Amino acid sequence: MMLRALSADWLKIRGKGLWFLVFLGPLGIVAMQGLNFGLRFDYLTKEYSDDLWGGLLDNIANYVPVALYLGGTLLCSMIANVEHQTSAWKQLLALPVSRTAVFMAKLLLCLLLVAVSCLLLSAGSVILGLILGFKMDLIPWGDILRIGFMSYLATLPVLILQLWLSLSFRNQTLPVSIGLTLSMGSLFATFLTEFMPLTWPYLAWNAPNPIWFSGAGLLLGMLLIVPSAVHFARKDVA
Amino acid sequence: MLIYEVKNMGETVINTKSLLKKYGGRAAVDHLNLKIDKGEIYGFLGPNGAGKTTTIRMLLGLITPTSGSIEVFGQDLRKNKLQILRRVGSLVESPSYYGHLTATENLEAIRRIIDAPKSRIAEVLKVVSLTGEEKRPVKGFSLGMKQRLGIAAALLGEPELLILDEPTNGLDPSGIQEIRSLIKRLPEEQGITVLVSSHLLSEIEQMAGTVGIIRQGQMVYQDTIANLQLQASGEMRLAISEPEAAMFLAKRRGYEGTLQEGRLILSRMNDARVALLVKELVENGHAVYRVEERRQSLEDFFLQVVEGGAS
Ligand SMILES: Nc1ncnc2c1ncn2[C@@H]1O[C@H](COP(=O)(O)OP(=O)(O)OP(=O)(O)O)[C@@H](O)[C@H]1O
Ligand SMILES: [Mg+2]
Repeated sequence: MMLRALSADWLKIRGKGLWFLVFLGPLGIVAMQGLNFGLRFDYLTKEYSDDLWGGLLDNIANYVPVALYLGGTLLCSMIANVEHQTSAWKQLLALPVSRTAVFMAKLLLCLLLVAVSCLLLSAGSVILGLILGFKMDLIPWGDILRIGFMSYLATLPVLILQLWLSLSFRNQTLPVSIGLTLSMGSLFATFLTEFMPLTWPYLAWNAPNPIWFSGAGLLLGMLLIVPSAVHFARKDVA
Repeated sequence: MLIYEVKNMGETVINTKSLLKKYGGRAAVDHLNLKIDKGEIYGFLGPNGAGKTTTIRMLLGLITPTSGSIEVFGQDLRKNKLQILRRVGSLVESPSYYGHLTATENLEAIRRIIDAPKSRIAEVLKVVSLTGEEKRPVKGFSLGMKQRLGIAAALLGEPELLILDEPTNGLDPSGIQEIRSLIKRLPEEQGITVLVSSHLLSEIEQMAGTVGIIRQGQMVYQDTIANLQLQASGEMRLAISEPEAAMFLAKRRGYEGTLQEGRLILSRMNDARVALLVKELVENGHAVYRVEERRQSLEDFFLQVVEGGAS
C-alpha cells in the first residue's frame, strides 16, 4: 500500500522543482570547492601534500551538514505543498489507503531524494579531485561514499521533524523558518555540546568515532517517526 | 421539530447515530441521525454553515466525531475504514487537484493508489465530458472543469456509494443539467447510492428521492421529495359569485379559509375536498368562475424550515 502511495507521489512531484534542488545542493558544494582549490591551488596542495584527497573531502564536508539541513527543509516543504496547495489532502485521505502508508510514502520519497543528493556529492567529489589532478589510484573510496551518507544519517531526526511540521501546517512559513534557523545553528556545531542532535552531522565526519553520531541520528530518527506518524494518522483533515 | 420517519425499504448504506462534532465548544454537527438506503439519491440540504461539509468529512473519516457512531454498508467506520472507503467515491467542497499535472495524470495519481484498471481513466473522463482536455495542465482549467475532474476522480474506483458535496458548485446551467442527469442515471443503471449536498432545494429537487434538511447542525426535516411537495402545496383560490355567502357555507362545512378581494382562499385542500365543495357551492346556486391552486414554492417552504419556522 505504501509503495502504491509512493508511486503516486513520484508522479506528483514532476515539474515541481524538487529534482532541481536535489542536483543543486551537491553540485553547489562541489563547484564552491572547485573555486576554492582553483584559486588557491598551490597553497592548498602544499598544505595537504601528504593526503590531497583527504584535504579535499574535509573541505567539502564542512558544508555538508548545512546543505543537508537546508535542502531537507525545502524538500519536505515542497513535498507537503503539493498536497496543501490545492487542498488535495481531503481527496487523497478519503481514498482506501491508510494514513500511515501516506505518511511513510512521503517520508520515503524525501529520504530517497536526499540519498540521490548524497550520491551526487560522492560522484562530484571524485570528478573534482580528478580535474584537480589528484591521483586516481589514491582515491579513498570508503571516505568518498561516507562524505554525504554519514552526515545524512545524522540529520534524520531534524529531517523527520521537518517533514512532520511541513505536513501539519498548511502555511509553510513556520516549518521553513524553523528549518532555516536549525540550518544556521548547525554552522556553530563546534561550539555546541555533542548531546544536541544538531551537531551530529558535523561530528559524523569529524569526531574520532563518527559512526556513533550517524548511529545516534538513525536511532533518534526512527524513534521520531512513531509520534509523527501517529499524529498524522489521527489529525482532522480540513 | 419536524422529523419524519423514512420508511425502511431496503439495505441501509449510511446510518449515523447521534453524530456530534464540536469545535471549541460549539456543535457544528449536533446529534445527527442520518439514514440512507441503498440505491437512493439523498439530497442533503442546509444553508451556509449548517454542517453539511462537516458531516460529510466525518462520513469519509477525514475528521473524528466528538461522539456518536457511523455505520457505512453495515460496518463501523472506525473499525473498517479502508474496507468502506474502497467502495466509496467522494468529492468534498472546493475541487482538489494537482495544478501542474494534466487531467489524465491527476487521475493516474489516484489510480495508482486505488489500483483501478488503466482504461478506467478514459472512461470517467468521457462520463464527465472532459475528453479532449485531458492533455492540458489542470491549473488552466475553469472552475467547472475542475469540478468535473473531481467527479471523474470520485467515479474512478467504481464506487457503490458516491458522496458529493456541492458537486454543481461553479458549473454553468448546461453543466448543472449534465451532472444532474449523470447523478440520476447512476442509481438506475448501477445501483449506486448517492449522497449529494446543496444549499439550494431547487438544485436537487429534480434528482433526489429523499431530502434531509439540516440547520445549525441539527436535522430539522427528513422525508421523501413526494411528501415534501405535498407539504409545500398550498391553498385553493376560488373566484365565485356572492363570495360572502359562499364563505359562510364553506365554513359551516368545516373548511378553513379567508376572504380576500372577493375570492375564497382555502387551505389544506386535497382533490376530494375540492370536488365536494365545488359541488355544494354549485348546488346552492353559486357560479364558480375559477378554481386555482396557489402553490407555495418549494423554495419558500425550504426557507421556512431553515429559518426556524419548524423548530
Ligand atoms: N475546522 C473548523 N474549526 C472551527 N469551526 C469549524 C471548522 N469546520 C467547520 N466549522 C464550523 O462548523 C459549522 C459548519 O460548517 P460546514 O462547513 O460543515 O457547513 P456547510 O453546511 O458545509 O456550509 P456551506 O454550505 O457554506 O458549505 C460552521 O459554523 C463552521 O464555522
Ligand atoms: Mg460545505
